[in-house]
Amino acid sequence: MKFPFFDHIWHIRGSVPLAPNQTHDEAYDRLMPLFLKSGTTHERSGDTLTFEKKDQEAQDKMSIFDRGVLQIVDAPGGSFLRYRMASRALLYCFLAPLLFLAFAQLNIQIGEWEKASAAAEAGAEEEDEKETIELPQNVIDKALGAPAPEIDGPGAEDEEEGPSPTPAYVFAGLFVALYLGGRILEDRLIKSLFRKRLHGIGDDKGQNKKDAEGETGSRMLSF
Amino acid sequence: MNGTRVGNRIIGADAPVTVGWENIPKVEGGPVKRFVFTWFQPTMLVALVLFWYYAPNSIATASTAIALGIAFKVLLLGLEWVNPRHDSWRLTWKELATDLFYVGIGYTLVNMIESYIGAGAIIGWVQDSFAWEKFAWFMAMPLLLQAVLISFIFDFGQYWMHRGMHNWYPLWLTHAPHHYITQLNINKGAVGNPIELFLIGLGIGGFFDFMPRAFLLAGTLGLTVSIYQHINVRFNTPRWWRFTFNTTEHHSVHHSQDYEASRSNYSGTWIIIDRMFGTCIDGEAELLGMEGGRPMSIRETMTFPFTEGWKSIKARLGRGEPPPEPAAVPAE
Ligand SMILES: [Zn+2]
Ligand SMILES: [Zn+2]
Repeated sequence: MKFPFFDHIWHIRGSVPLAPNQTHDEAYDRLMPLFLKSGTTHERSGDTLTFEKKDQEAQDKMSIFDRGVLQIVDAPGGSFLRYRMASRALLYCFLAPLLFLAFAQLNIQIGEWEKASAAAEAGAEEEDEKETIELPQNVIDKALGAPAPEIDGPGAEDEEEGPSPTPAYVFAGLFVALYLGGRILEDRLIKSLFRKRLHGIGDDKGQNKKDAEGETGSRMLSF
Repeated sequence: MNGTRVGNRIIGADAPVTVGWENIPKVEGGPVKRFVFTWFQPTMLVALVLFWYYAPNSIATASTAIALGIAFKVLLLGLEWVNPRHDSWRLTWKELATDLFYVGIGYTLVNMIESYIGAGAIIGWVQDSFAWEKFAWFMAMPLLLQAVLISFIFDFGQYWMHRGMHNWYPLWLTHAPHHYITQLNINKGAVGNPIELFLIGLGIGGFFDFMPRAFLLAGTLGLTVSIYQHINVRFNTPRWWRFTFNTTEHHSVHHSQDYEASRSNYSGTWIIIDRMFGTCIDGEAELLGMEGGRPMSIRETMTFPFTEGWKSIKARLGRGEPPPEPAAVPAE
């Protein structure tokens, strides 16, 4: 608890009010389908439910979470559900940019090393003259107006630099964006999922179809 | 479960597979939507072929090809959103992030390693005028014919490599992780053990900036045909297209949980190669994966060939326990 910011990287917490006059048992009955998914184990003692997930299925609505604690709290304004859940997916996504930055560094290092060995060779080698090799072109292609083929001969290409580190930087940036998007999106999705479950809307019976569609709709906002 | 007899095989005995085009649902919606999802694929193919046919030499480079490939994928992600084939294949944040991780590994680590193994040799070969003279007869043919031949010959090699992966255990170990995906999305082609990428020659490390145009055109066939293998979009694919080319329907059969069904549709672009060798099954499947759809983590995907390979070596030497009989065992 000393580093609350640190903790927020891969923990999602929040609270959702219970439906009016809903008992604790009723509330947990409503939530129960979420914890009967494959790979999920759960344990309830009194007001508290703890769960663990392993090998989550792709379409499991709680697939990003690995474990968590839910608790129903009674308050003067009405009872509410409080939750705190951990997600390794979020943590790894948060760390992924570091991995890609490391790839970029590795790439640069290898490039430097290659350059050094190429420079050592260049001294011995005479510069080839730049020449262009003539390539044949079919009459049909000529008639249709395709550009004439051409290709640079040996020596025309400047010393090869190897692959550039740019893709690694791009993916580092992409994962920063993915992390931020996911941290915000999944926070909202799980809150709305719990609320819908507790209030009995958009559940498996298919009542209130609009809401169920709204859910997939916001799920797709991730783009 | 009763399967469907196709030739002398029973398809769909272990898991549901829809066999036959007549049993596959059509795109639902207004005339505009139906028109778009009927003609999207051929239109894109023709447009990109025309682009590569006429683009000036300064633009017709591999970097343009890579940029176009990325832009096209983003467009297809949009289509997945608008007209998904199965709701059970919906892209979630976690699936997207996981897929992009594999894509990222392909563009960085695999690319780096490949470029130090192969690219130098290929560049040397391309720049060697002697090599060009040898192939002058090939380059005197019409450009589109060259492109079709290159694409077909490359795919012919891929067909046998892929079929080999499904029949020879050491190769299968590298390919198996790809078969643990439980849904198809546009980036799922990148999901799998990286060793497979070397074997199947799909890496981009071999690219350099003066590709002969016939290769760029052949690559475009790959981009505008085989990319649909892993797409969650319902198309009304024209008959001639699905007779000639691989489709998401074909490839979903290949990814089916049904063992017999997965031993079909091996080609990447030209499904007629499968028709030639009797391995084509026209149909589709929704329930995908191995071992009843067990999810495979990124870590296991990376280590699977080694851990499984070690297990079977130990078993052969008669020590340790025999490997359990998972669905991860190919035919023989
Ligand atoms: Zn396969
Ligand atoms: Zn596949």
